[in-house]
Amino acid sequence: MLTRSIQRGLRIGAISFGILTYLILVGLPTRIGDAAMPVLAVAMALLFWISLRGGVSKQDVSARAPAPLFTAGTMAGLFAGALTATLIAFFTGLLADGVRLQPIFDKIVPQNMAALYGVMPGVIATEGIPALGWLRQTLFLTASGIVGALLVLIERSIRQRSFPRIPWLRWVPLILPFVLLAFVIWLGMPGVTFGGNNRGTIRLLATMVTIGSGIFALRAARPGAEQRVFGLLFFLAIAYLPFTLDQFQNSVMGIVFIFVMIGLGLNIVVGFAGLLDLGYVAFFAIGAYVYAFLAAPFSSPWVTAQLQSLGLPYNQPLVSYWMAIPITMVAAGIGGVLLGIPVLRLRGDYLAIVTLGFGEIIRLFMLNLSDLTNGPRGLLNIAPPYLFGINFGSPREIFILALIGAGIVAFAAYRLDGSRLGRAWIAMREDEDVAQATGVNLVRTKLLAFAIGALFAGLAGQLYAARQVNIFPENFSLFVSIDALSLVIVGGMGSIPGVVIGALALKGLPEVLRGVDEYRIVTFAALLVLMMIVRPEGLVPSTRRRRELHEDAEPIAGVDAPSALEQLATAEPTATQKAGRQ
Amino acid sequence: MAMIEARQVTKVFGGLVAVNSVDLVVEERMIASLIGPNGAGKTTFFNCLTGLYRPEGGDIVFDGQSIVGLRPDQIIARGMARTYQNIRLFGSMTAIENVLVGQHVRLRSTPLGAIFQTPATRREEKKAEQKARELLAFVGLAGKGDMIAKNLPYGDQRLLEVARALGSDPKLLLLDEPAAGMNPRETDAMLHLINRLRDELGITILLIEHDMKVVMSISDRVTVLDYGKKIAEGRPEQVRTDPSVIEAYLGAGVIDVHAPA
Amino acid sequence: MTVTTYSSTPLPRRRKSAAHWVLRALGVLILVLVIWRVYTVGMAENYPASFWISQALNGLVLGGVYALVALGYTLVYGILLMINFAHGEVVMIGGFAGFFALQFFTAIGWLEGSAALVAFALLLIVGAGMLASVLTGVTLERVAYRPLRGAPRLVPLISAIGASLFLQYSVLLIFGVSPRVYQKPALIAGGFRVGDVFVPYTGVIIFATSLLLMLALYLIVQRSKLGKAMRAVAEDKGTAALMGIDVNQVIVFTFILGSALAGAAGVMLGFHNTIVKFNSGFILGLKAFTAAVLGGIGNIPGAMMGALLLGLIEAIGPSALGIPTEYKDIISFSVLVLILIFRPSGLLGEVLSEKKA
Repeated sequence: MLTRSIQRGLRIGAISFGILTYLILVGLPTRIGDAAMPVLAVAMALLFWISLRGGVSKQDVSARAPAPLFTAGTMAGLFAGALTATLIAFFTGLLADGVRLQPIFDKIVPQNMAALYGVMPGVIATEGIPALGWLRQTLFLTASGIVGALLVLIERSIRQRSFPRIPWLRWVPLILPFVLLAFVIWLGMPGVTFGGNNRGTIRLLATMVTIGSGIFALRAARPGAEQRVFGLLFFLAIAYLPFTLDQFQNSVMGIVFIFVMIGLGLNIVVGFAGLLDLGYVAFFAIGAYVYAFLAAPFSSPWVTAQLQSLGLPYNQPLVSYWMAIPITMVAAGIGGVLLGIPVLRLRGDYLAIVTLGFGEIIRLFMLNLSDLTNGPRGLLNIAPPYLFGINFGSPREIFILALIGAGIVAFAAYRLDGSRLGRAWIAMREDEDVAQATGVNLVRTKLLAFAIGALFAGLAGQLYAARQVNIFPENFSLFVSIDALSLVIVGGMGSIPGVVIGALALKGLPEVLRGVDEYRIVTFAALLVLMMIVRPEGLVPSTRRRRELHEDAEPIAGVDAPSALEQLATAEPTATQKAGRQ
Repeated sequence: MAMIEARQVTKVFGGLVAVNSVDLVVEERMIASLIGPNGAGKTTFFNCLTGLYRPEGGDIVFDGQSIVGLRPDQIIARGMARTYQNIRLFGSMTAIENVLVGQHVRLRSTPLGAIFQTPATRREEKKAEQKARELLAFVGLAGKGDMIAKNLPYGDQRLLEVARALGSDPKLLLLDEPAAGMNPRETDAMLHLINRLRDELGITILLIEHDMKVVMSISDRVTVLDYGKKIAEGRPEQVRTDPSVIEAYLGAGVIDVHAPA
Repeated sequence: MTVTTYSSTPLPRRRKSAAHWVLRALGVLILVLVIWRVYTVGMAENYPASFWISQALNGLVLGGVYALVALGYTLVYGILLMINFAHGEVVMIGGFAGFFALQFFTAIGWLEGSAALVAFALLLIVGAGMLASVLTGVTLERVAYRPLRGAPRLVPLISAIGASLFLQYSVLLIFGVSPRVYQKPALIAGGFRVGDVFVPYTGVIIFATSLLLMLALYLIVQRSKLGKAMRAVAEDKGTAALMGIDVNQVIVFTFILGSALAGAAGVMLGFHNTIVKFNSGFILGLKAFTAAVLGGIGNIPGAMMGALLLGLIEAIGPSALGIPTEYKDIISFSVLVLILIFRPSGLLGEVLSEKKA
């Protein structure tokens, strides 16, 4: 039994060593600075906790006893620690000998190693491995292994104890957003020095948490009056945000909510209708470019030439922002249908690949149709929206417009979700053949999904163009599609509040955590994989998705009860109710 | 008048003739059965009728008009609905939602109407939900409307498929082995329901069935398929004694044709 | 002889509707336009025959490499019915490993030694690439795909997209942005002439190695016990498991085979294109996938044929269509889109059926 827990510890330790090696190779210690080892140790403690609690079958009582748990934890920490420390010492030794490792491993530089030992980089170059460095690192990780085991025990004892129900606890999530809002407002007041240089960032983070917690609270509120009152107050709170935030914060929130609009559109295509579209950026691009043609005709040689030949002025916007809205929407919608028609017959993976191809082809067109799009030089000086003669192009106004836009789009998506069309989408997603045999016109239903999704993205694209003032083809790369897809998935496919949470987490947080930008894509990518394994339904799942992905998510009383047929059969047949003809 | 008339319907897969020049007439308000050993082409024939397959030859006249070449959603709009041998409900939807999808062809609301919740849309949705509840009650699923389809017991799932099909106000209902996998009591109740579909709702029924007891007790007319060909047709008692039918079944060696009805 | 996947009871087949005929007409129109364009360009440009031949040879070499990668897609698709979106990255990692092995053997001087020593070193370099790719592929399967078996189809695909990005950007972070440049050993740097056509040694070596590896794969799938098990699992996982086949083992074996080919392809592409970069697997993956689809995915000879065809199209296409060579990626993309739209079952018949298209 002891050998079993040692084996288990070694296995966990080996995997942890792999993860640590990865983190060192991507240069994370350099980023963290000389607290690298303690920070990594804390992170590893959490990892040990997760790996120690899982993998033990419920029947295996011995493995759940404290002693084997601590044996496994200690072994895991010791093993991972010793291996990692040895690897670090090896690298450091080479560096100290003057070997340049950078041609192979870009991030294995003295700073990285110094951070792990908690010394100045110069020490590595001159003195090599610090005394007791190996031991220090090994001990740090052994400690995290023990802490991991401890966490398992603590978690278990908490779970076993029953807590008294505190009635007012229910109100905490409902009040939290407003407390946070007050905090945000307070932070913005003149004279407040809380947070020092980071005050702006803390404020931005608090803003996002305000919105996020509000979204969760909205779901936690009891349906009916409570939910309605809370919803109204929360709405007012959000409406107030643009007026209290500063320019940078507004600008970040603006882009977050532009991505909420994109996400809501993609959510219709992927979440509702189940059509995995990887070329979704095309519609965003159409919206942006069509608005740019209208609002900055002088930027496009072709449009300029056309206007000249017609004798029209070309050095000013053709239409106002508001007049352009229907035009971009129609253009994007038509784009959606046109790209939708050829892929009508494709399902699943094939659809994903073809739409990915389309997205790239559109981008290559933007790059190469220089006459129309001005190629990589982009379309410049796009006019901002004006309302009553006031320039609406500053970050605050853009955030307001993004909020309004996202609100309208979310409302439309919500209404569609429960409609005849929404039901047809879900039916189609579940079983295309049966949906058709049940009366769903697949062509119409699919094209409507593409068109409505495209239309939302077009709106977002227009606002984006107005925000950016200058747009270039690289603004519309595959990564917009990937970002949009990631935020839909992280939030929860088919879930409207999920899109907001996803956008906050994936577009907002990286802005707060400046400096980790380098790690943005790997983090998203790892998150995507992890999400699919652990929680494929997303952070704020739509109830329906959860049902689809978990066979036994909602055990319903009566599954083992006799079926209605049996009950009918036991009753006298004549006693059955008459529904009559409708 | 004939509700549906299949003339010389032929369906070929590769080199295999799954349905070979089959004629079939089902009169209005009749309960007709299609029987035959495994692989006789019964479900393929159903798929031809409902537009999932396009037959290579022959014609299908439904309610006076040819429906060959129509899409399944166009055919159900004309009044022919079906259920499936292996239950194919929309598992993540509630029972009510399943029946609402069944009503899809009878509803008119548009996306814009849904977004703006126009009075017409609201009225229609309300009526549709009311009707869905009535249909669930009719098949015996009263009060189970908000349950998730895949969480329903097996027998209830079969009933829900019938209710979903009824959502489209069918004139003709095709039931693919409605009593498959059921115990005798459940089978009895299903037979009762099928009778009520005809008697109370006036729906013509064409069913595929393996259970001879079901077929013999309920059918006005029985058609026997074997290797894609029609080998016998007539009233249940005629078919039961038909030597070619007995041979087909004894050859398959599965079902006792002489089981008491 | 194919790892085919078809359902024994065919699902209802889509009827041919008006939209179908519109698409057909569109397809014919596109074909006519392409042929017309090729004709006019051919008339106008008047390239010598030797030009076309050397282009075609180049295409065959590329096609051979594509085939190795395409086989990885096809094998995995045949077994798991999923597109291993990260397969291109497996190739790229093989390329990196090969580069470092090449550096190593250059450093110890083997590549200036006798012909036998150089050949042996090259073999080891390819082996290093294969090993790295196999490790990546197996880890990929274990971490990103195995926990998702049985989940709805979108789930593993999204996981695969995540894995693809993760591998790309991890390589970027670990090895840096700068591309790694393969230096050909002096012995194989040259070439020979046949008439007006110059044939590089590397081209011959790459093409021959590709053919050898394909032959080896074919023998493994056809003759070995595990190969038979693979075919059984491709046919029906459940039944295969009932027959005592360890499905997990077969799946891992499939990933090993596919990744080994990918690793070899990565190293050979390194020699052919001379550079390998963190994102050089992505477009390559899409192209190889195109090749697999072109031949009918799940179909081993189909993948080989489709890859050779795609290699030829890509090599000859730009000149034949009279467009700059930078557009060769658009040509492949267009081929992929057109094939999926007009003939999703690929050129080698109805292998894929309705199970997926």
